[in-house]
Amino acid sequence: MGALGHYLEAEGVPTTQISLIREHTEKINPPRALWVPFELGRPLGAPSDVDLQRKALTAAIELLQAPRGPVPADFPYEGPASTADIDQDPAVWACPVTFAASSGEPVGDEALASNFKQEVAELRNWHDLSLKSTGRTSMVHFEPDPLLQLLSDYLLRGDKKAPGTDMPFAVALRLAAQDLKTFYFESVIARPGATTPTSKAFTRWFWNETVAGAVLKAIKEKCLDETDEAMRMNGKLLLVPIEQG
Amino acid sequence: MARLDEFPEPMRSHLADLPCPSFQTHPWTEGPDLSKRRVALISTAGLHRRGDRPFESMTGDYRVIPGDVEAKDLVMTHVSTNFDRTGFQQDWNVAFPLDRLRELAQEGVIGSVAAYHYSFMGAADPASMASSAKTLADLLKGDGVDAALLVPV
Repeated sequence: MGALGHYLEAEGVPTTQISLIREHTEKINPPRALWVPFELGRPLGAPSDVDLQRKALTAAIELLQAPRGPVPADFPYEGPASTADIDQDPAVWACPVTFAASSGEPVGDEALASNFKQEVAELRNWHDLSLKSTGRTSMVHFEPDPLLQLLSDYLLRGDKKAPGTDMPFAVALRLAAQDLKTFYFESVIARPGATTPTSKAFTRWFWNETVAGAVLKAIKEKCLDETDEAMRMNGKLLLVPIEQG
Repeated sequence: MARLDEFPEPMRSHLADLPCPSFQTHPWTEGPDLSKRRVALISTAGLHRRGDRPFESMTGDYRVIPGDVEAKDLVMTHVSTNFDRTGFQQDWNVAFPLDRLRELAQEGVIGSVAAYHYSFMGAADPASMASSAKTLADLLKGDGVDAALLVPV
């Protein structure tokens, strides 16, 4: 991000920017930058916190009027502690969905795929309702059924088919993994009585307590055995977060 | 949160090892009063309109986001799995503060909002964005933009 500031400014476009990783911004030293104490993925602070978003946006833009100063400048407000770096106690956010299928001993791929289908079906109603009430889904490419099909077929048979798209299978698989996580998030927060988890609570739940998380980890392992470089890159980096091993 | 030493391993090393150029030059461009500026958003979150090409490679390419875009039509195909997406899924302003920017324009804090915004995919090597940035600078100037707000993810 910081580098773009250099390039654009050198071409005569005044720039300001938000900085999330202080050390990177210090090294790149762009013309203007505001360092904010927010987690990665949330450069403006917190969802639906209009006041905080506005403060961050205004502080970043006001640097355009300031004389050349230290880079990065500091955002003079605290971050949203409840959603940033404080891990939510499992007792605080308990997913209202208990999947019988997701607990117990490791199972083979067939059982995994069967449990996966059941889990997606349980969430599907809530996702449909969420879409109807909000009019928005962040799922990029796949409807739930083709998504389930693509992931299950690759898991069970190594099929590299992505119906309805001409993109390379490795790209389709990566988008499917993201869409799956989005489907789970949008579904669980739509359930009656559900509260919204912090990012960390959601991550912990998805990767440790759902069949979907186990499916993606199994698919990651299969990708590592592929000869195609893009598929191996999926296995190494692009399906499962680094912290999930 | 985001000082490197606050991340647990192996994330800390992953971030510390990302390509991060340093520069010998210190460009600085002035502009008019904020209330007269036309502001564009430039994101590196891998954002694009639904139906536009997903980000696939590390070549420093970008997507054009029309200024009248709505939240339901903006999606994210950044390749990294190592940052939170649930904030954006609840409220696009967390990563792409277009509603907030429109409000500032209505209130006269800034002059206007650009007709077009842009997104790169931040996992690309910053050096690969250099040639795109030259093109982008011409497009921004053509739109009358004299303030670019760069937003990472």
